[in-house]
Amino acid sequence: MRKATAILLSTALFSTALCGAALPAFAEDGDITLDVIICQYGPNTNEWFLGSGMDGTNFVDKFEAENPGIKLNLDVVSWNDVYTEVDTRIANNNAPDILNIDVFANYANEGLLLPVSDYCPEELLGDFFPSFIDQSVIDDTVWAVPDLASARALFYNVDMFEEVGIEVPTTWAELEDACQAIIDFYDGEVYPWGIDMTTDEGQAAFAYYTWGNGGGFVDENGEWAVNSAENAEAINYALGLVEKGYTNPNPATQTRYDLQDMFAAGKLAMIIAPNQLPTYVADKGGDINMATANIPANEGKSSSSVGVMDRVMAFKDDSAPDQDARNEAIGKFLSFFYDPENYVGWVSMEGFLPAVNSAVEALVEADPSFEAWLEVLGGCQFYPTAKAEWDQVKQGVIAAEQNALTGADIQAELDALQEQLAG
Amino acid sequence: MIKNNGKKWWVPYLWLLPSIILISVFVVFPILIVFRLSFSEISKAGVVGGFAGFKNYIDAVHLPAFRTVMINTFWWVISVVGLSTLLGFIIAMVMNQKFRGRKIARSILIFPWATSLVIQASVWNYIIKYEYGSLNSVLLNLGIIKNAINWRSSYQIEFIWECAVGIFVTIPFVTFCVLSGLQSIDESLYESARVDGAGFWNRLFSITLPLVRPSLSVSTVLNIIYVFNSFPIIYTMTKGAPANKTDTMITYLYMLNFYDRKKGPANALSVIGFLILCLCSGIYMITVMRKEDEA
Repeated sequence: MRKATAILLSTALFSTALCGAALPAFAEDGDITLDVIICQYGPNTNEWFLGSGMDGTNFVDKFEAENPGIKLNLDVVSWNDVYTEVDTRIANNNAPDILNIDVFANYANEGLLLPVSDYCPEELLGDFFPSFIDQSVIDDTVWAVPDLASARALFYNVDMFEEVGIEVPTTWAELEDACQAIIDFYDGEVYPWGIDMTTDEGQAAFAYYTWGNGGGFVDENGEWAVNSAENAEAINYALGLVEKGYTNPNPATQTRYDLQDMFAAGKLAMIIAPNQLPTYVADKGGDINMATANIPANEGKSSSSVGVMDRVMAFKDDSAPDQDARNEAIGKFLSFFYDPENYVGWVSMEGFLPAVNSAVEALVEADPSFEAWLEVLGGCQFYPTAKAEWDQVKQGVIAAEQNALTGADIQAELDALQEQLAG
Repeated sequence: MIKNNGKKWWVPYLWLLPSIILISVFVVFPILIVFRLSFSEISKAGVVGGFAGFKNYIDAVHLPAFRTVMINTFWWVISVVGLSTLLGFIIAMVMNQKFRGRKIARSILIFPWATSLVIQASVWNYIIKYEYGSLNSVLLNLGIIKNAINWRSSYQIEFIWECAVGIFVTIPFVTFCVLSGLQSIDESLYESARVDGAGFWNRLFSITLPLVRPSLSVSTVLNIIYVFNSFPIIYTMTKGAPANKTDTMITYLYMLNFYDRKKGPANALSVIGFLILCLCSGIYMITVMRKEDEA
């Protein structure tokens, strides 16, 4: 009987092993099938790529019709799941051919990615904003291209500011005065300022304050400098705002979306948010008279907007029979995606900012407010995502902020993180 | 080999086959993979390298949050399993009485258990929200409080809320386990005890408790496993913030794997968790079963 059990178990295990192995894509002779993973930016993403959101058709059908011999096996994956999915696929030796995600350094450093020059047509490569492409370079090689961007700015509730009778703050001192005035006027019913130091986006808070104080994640040589005196001063300033009751009460668990909801409900006067905030507020049924301004900086320091960019990258596949044909197919995918005819629809659909010059004209024509944002985008700083330790730094500064919120000394926390990075 | 009624010896195995395949595919195989990964080098991107010995385990134990997380996990399991068992038992005693609307009360009781944990946790998040939480608005409208209260003013309190939600969703399971035990007790036992002059406490400790012990044991062992492995409540309510101070082992190892990308230590922690669970439920089962044999 034991033997029978053993046989059954081993059969089961064996069949599992078979299921786990990558199933080759069944394609017609000579056809190339590209596995593509796209992140879900909003409810329209799926419709546009797979449904009927692209003027009655969709990206995959239109691409396959225009590019015979190339099939797309395209999945739209939510941001919550995409890291799990990609990691699992890499671990199972089944990485996608084309991946749309935010990070790239780990994949590049581990030799999993193809250099962009291997597959991207030169004309297209020259079309990307150069400052964007620079963010995806490691060892003088471009490993990914930006698919879209968004820029952050200070949004404020114009009606509240008029009611209270205050000007938009540009410096930290003015910000504190404005906060106090709002607290006094509304008797604490409205939070003047929103802070998100959550696991979701605490690194953004770090950027807003440290960049506004001449600090930041790295020094002028691009080396990690998370524990600079400017950084500690900046975070202490932010913590001071929390302590004085100028902000939402639980910055460690209230995400930017919670803050955006409060802003849409008229319970928050100021918020640093991406350019899609007006769309978000309108979708929530909010009717807020809002305007944008520069993120306040410390006296004598320059304000800097935060740019966030996502990327498209191609993984190596040594098992592909014809590497040149595969590279060419990936190039065709990119050319098709960035063709203004398709790309403009994609970018404007979710209210993002473009990554290529050729889309600017059509976008500004469709929505003149884009122009101001493109200017903001030009002066943006980006997270140092090309550095291998970025994951660790991102989690590290969030943990430091959260520990400081519960009473720890921020300088000591940042010193410890810097030491880990050096060690 | 004994042939019973001329049936082929392999027939039972044939009927067991679907379960065996399912359990192998979805339980045994993944466990083996995690064991293997915990002894392998794993890169940040998830590429599995060579044998790493106990390095991942040593790294896991030396993580700065390890101690906090283990202490949290201990209190999480003890408080949720302990209190939900106590409260579930009391509610089951009440539900076992005959009263009008008993059926409705029983069906309402199952709601918290029948709803998905993510929904439960999100709903509680809204209930205790400071800005527009329903708890505050109810209390304000009733005039019980003058100003809205921040129900999540510190991480300790947030952790207590998480435990409370854990208890709330676990009570129905215990109640129904105990209730099934209570209903199988012969009423004549109580009657003769009453005739002999036994009071409420006497009857509780001499009749009820010994007879529902099998049901209680089952519910406790299962609860230890469920609660230890419970992910949605903590992940939905705080994501372990601030700085892992409200994490339990399961949420922590998820964050470690997919946020911090420390995949080796995360796999090692999974194995440690698995072994702790085996140990706890093993010890519990052995002691309880021995007592039952003695009884």
